[in-house]
Amino acid sequence: MRLDLSSKLALVLLIWVCAFTLDWFINVPLLVVSVVARYLVPAFRPQSRRGNSAFNKFLLYSVAILALLATLNAILMPGGDVLFALAGLKFHHEGLMFGIKTAARLLLLSVSILVFFVSTPLPDFIRFLQQKGLPSQLVLVLLLTLHFLDQLPGRINRVFVAQEARGAPVRAGLFSRTKSLVSILSPLVLSSIVESIDRGTALEVRGFLARPESSPVQIQVKTKLNALTLVLLLLSLGIFLLFLLRWLLAS
Amino acid sequence: MAARILVERFSFRYGPDLPRALADVSLDVPPGSCCAILGPTGAGKTTLLHALVGILGRHHPDSVHSGAMRIGKRAFTPLPRDVMFPEVGLVLQDPYVQLSGVRDTVVDEVLFTLENLGIATEDAQTRVEMILRELGIDQLASRPPTTLSGGETQRLALATMLIAEPQALLLDEPTSALDTAATGRLQQIVKSLHGRATVVITDTHVEFSLPLADQIVVLHQGKVLFAGTPRDFILRMDRFEDVLPVHGWWEVLNRFAQSSADQSQAADLLGKALAEP
Repeated sequence: MRLDLSSKLALVLLIWVCAFTLDWFINVPLLVVSVVARYLVPAFRPQSRRGNSAFNKFLLYSVAILALLATLNAILMPGGDVLFALAGLKFHHEGLMFGIKTAARLLLLSVSILVFFVSTPLPDFIRFLQQKGLPSQLVLVLLLTLHFLDQLPGRINRVFVAQEARGAPVRAGLFSRTKSLVSILSPLVLSSIVESIDRGTALEVRGFLARPESSPVQIQVKTKLNALTLVLLLLSLGIFLLFLLRWLLAS
Repeated sequence: MAARILVERFSFRYGPDLPRALADVSLDVPPGSCCAILGPTGAGKTTLLHALVGILGRHHPDSVHSGAMRIGKRAFTPLPRDVMFPEVGLVLQDPYVQLSGVRDTVVDEVLFTLENLGIATEDAQTRVEMILRELGIDQLASRPPTTLSGGETQRLALATMLIAEPQALLLDEPTSALDTAATGRLQQIVKSLHGRATVVITDTHVEFSLPLADQIVVLHQGKVLFAGTPRDFILRMDRFEDVLPVHGWWEVLNRFAQSSADQSQAADLLGKALAEP
């Protein structure tokens, strides 16, 4: 199954609309479908080993996020029946459900965007944006941001090694790691800013912002929306309008 | 066609309350010649190159500046406000950031510059092949840019600029990440540009630039300490011991003698310099 980038983006939009407008019993199956699609549908398979590893790690952490959100809400949000009590803490049904709904919504948003980016090579995405006639300034900002995210793991590792060489306990226990967080964040942020400025400068001096209308990339702009993209966009609009109508009638 | 670069009493502050990054800098680089701007880090070398390429005025609208600048037929008082692409090309100190990161192969990376110029694909492909051959990286054409070595990346960074046929080419510390062999190769490439483009090189060391330059400028704390021919510079090199790493200058002189087109002139220079106490 081959999906063009327009359809993939329209699908992400549809999932986002669903996440914001539909109930948890639709969002949770959608979340499962999104995760399964990443493994079974070729168009959603990660393009690099690093992307694959990032996605798997995110899945692992998302279980922890789900559990944390549900537990905190169950304890802190009184309402409904008390499901059980542990060490003097009461776990409420309403809070638990609210936690699950919120976590499902957040995870659905994150998973959909993550699946899109790990399965789409950065050059293809940037070329697509240029072909669609997005302003060069905006493409430049997006490009620098995506570059920053792409290189973040490698950069974190370099900062870790550098701080370790200075005796900072960056790989020790949780407390030590938390203490040395500032010493990691400062060089990380600074080096990222410096590199982003340099890369932006390099793109500017290569005429990226002066890209003329007749550029070979720009010429291909006038492509029509394909049927799948159109269906997905209409579906997103339909769901959103239904949600709006329901909200208006309810009030 | 190579452009003359003329800078007249150019001064620059990044902000009204900040110290002068450049103070009364004057420079006259004839078309097709090579000028080496030498100086320690923080001397203002990169600031000067950014001023010439047009990004200084663009990125620092609150800066304070005075003087005048002329590149080819275009005059500025004092700074160009737009990027001077493709008339002026700049290769940054770190060649890795010169790459767009949005192209999968070496060929596509160079093509990216031509796309920005709006040059048609058929013509562009031929031009890219020619430039890669000229820089000796044609065998890497289908490789991803991220897999190249430091020297290869430097040559690719140069190709991304040369493909636009700039009238002036600015190289910001081009050897900072290169080994000796790659430095020598780059030296040959820059030498081959003589007459085609006006080249301005900044460097903290003298070894790379000295055999290439028609003119040497020593910059320190934003001021010009020296401007003259390589011969004059060699004869006065000991004056810049605090600013440049010239204590190994005997070796530099030997290299100059080996790589100079005019061996007798080099020997003459060497003899004179050696004769000095």
